[in-house]
Amino acid sequence: MSKLHISDVTLSFGGLKALSGVKMIVEPGLITSIIGPNGAGKTSILNCISGFYHPTSGEIRFGDHNLSKASPHQISKLGIARAFQNIELFSGMTVLDNLLLARHQNLKYNFFQALIYRGKASRMEAENRAYVEDVIDFMELEPYRKSMVGNLAYGIQKRVEVARALTLGPKLILLDEPMAGMNVEEKEDMVRFIMDIQRERYITVILVEHDLGVVMDISDRIFVLDFGQLIGSGTPDEVSRDPKVIEAYIGEE
Amino acid sequence: MATNRWVATGNYFTSYKDEQRIFLTHFDRLIFCCMLVLVFAWPLFISVSDRTLLVIDNILIAIVAILGLNLLTGFAGLISIGHAAFVGVGAYTLASFSHLLGDRHILITHAWPLMILISGGVGAGFGALVGLPAFRLKHLYLAIATLSFQMIFEWVINFMKFFNQGQTIFVGRVFWFTGKIARKQHYQFWYYVILVVVVIAGFAVRNLLRTRYGRCLVAVRDNDRAADAMGMSPGLTKVYAFALAGFFAGVAGALHAYLYRGVGFESFTLHHSITYLAMAIVGGLGTLVGSFFGPIAIYMLDLLVENLAEYVGHLLPAVMNLSTALRPLTFGLVIVLFLMFEPRGIANWWRIARTYFKLWPFRY
Repeated sequence: MSKLHISDVTLSFGGLKALSGVKMIVEPGLITSIIGPNGAGKTSILNCISGFYHPTSGEIRFGDHNLSKASPHQISKLGIARAFQNIELFSGMTVLDNLLLARHQNLKYNFFQALIYRGKASRMEAENRAYVEDVIDFMELEPYRKSMVGNLAYGIQKRVEVARALTLGPKLILLDEPMAGMNVEEKEDMVRFIMDIQRERYITVILVEHDLGVVMDISDRIFVLDFGQLIGSGTPDEVSRDPKVIEAYIGEE
Repeated sequence: MATNRWVATGNYFTSYKDEQRIFLTHFDRLIFCCMLVLVFAWPLFISVSDRTLLVIDNILIAIVAILGLNLLTGFAGLISIGHAAFVGVGAYTLASFSHLLGDRHILITHAWPLMILISGGVGAGFGALVGLPAFRLKHLYLAIATLSFQMIFEWVINFMKFFNQGQTIFVGRVFWFTGKIARKQHYQFWYYVILVVVVIAGFAVRNLLRTRYGRCLVAVRDNDRAADAMGMSPGLTKVYAFALAGFFAGVAGALHAYLYRGVGFESFTLHHSITYLAMAIVGGLGTLVGSFFGPIAIYMLDLLVENLAEYVGHLLPAVMNLSTALRPLTFGLVIVLFLMFEPRGIANWWRIARTYFKLWPFRY
């Protein structure tokens, strides 16, 4: 299992520094959370890891690979999957097709085999369908398999979003506020899914979340960002006692 | 084990391969086969004038072109206002060969299936070239880029001596196993050729759409950011969509050139590009059947209005001018009405009709 090293990453848009000198090491096999007030740079760091932004300076390494200059589709091939904060599903397709799209890289047949759709193409489609069904089973999406994603309820769409990231078969999954806007019941479900992702599928999880109760309960490591700077890190206990973190969240006395 | 594969009732899937089938029931397949037999056999029993057959051939050629345009505009969501130019590229590929080798060269008269494929290939090449701005441009800006290709194409054809400055370049009569295709059999022969091309193209597109090469098109239409995160390069996928559309257009262009036994620039103008777009919209963007309904509907409407205009013109010679304006008027009106009231096109009526009949006898 490979570690994710983020060393001295700075990201600036003109004069605005979204991230300045952020250092993190994400251990494999753990749930690592990134928290911080609004505008702290949580989503920016996820965007840097998944390749949508490229850091102005500093380096991001995953195992032996340097991610700083890579584009999102190259990074997804290294085994880093991403679920978006605002739902970014393919709304005109069924749940099944959305998940099959995540198998794009694993469907190894060429264009002409696809045209004929005999033998290899058909077989690969069926094999990958089995993989997708496994994820559908895992995320409990069976009733929605053939529904158009655009017509599904918000909570379900969030689940499809996580399922699609899982279908990529990643080693590291980035979840950007998977519980935003959900009710308590849906949150409990999602927490269960996240813990199962770590324990049953052995996938490293990086979680960005605003609900501190959830974060403190399930995280193994927490990094706290404020105004683009790392102000604290450690286990949930350490972080909750850190005076800097308390200051950022509650303010000075 | 499915108990009964003839009707949808009780037709269960037991493997993922079962579910991949195009025809879910034997009944669907039977209807499709009957239809195929019908379209292949009717010219043997019913004799129609060459003029009617020419219209039918034109519809079939338009279907080939629209299959490409629908992949590009309907599935990949990239508006192209230069589709007639791509069709023109195919036609002028053939014309160039005819110009260089002479219009009765053996390559053109005997190896015509090869020539049609080559024209498709050249169309795909130009498609990919014109699609390159898709790396940077989106939506209407990209549409304007395709419009500029249409303009450049018309200009080049009109001013280059090599292309006879847009005047007709002749293409010779082709040979079949039975010998030279004479004037009398010409339209019927090409009816069959184009029909075979339509059937092959239709199945090819249907197959593409259930593989990763079709799904990636819809992915870049719906959300190209997410498509990027799913491991496909959105820019390359868009260029691929353009190449695909260019291939179908090129094939349609070569067929057009053979059918008319010549290539002139007036068949590939901006007006034709808009008509193609209208066919795709009226048929139903993003549906396979729409590519068939659209050309049929637009050509039928055109014929109907033309006859009506003629009739009115004879009846009241005073309004002759007015009746000739009927054609563009209804054409525009139909597009506007479709965009307003049925943006999903005729294919949506087809879908509604099918779901109505699917319930019989009680699928669930």
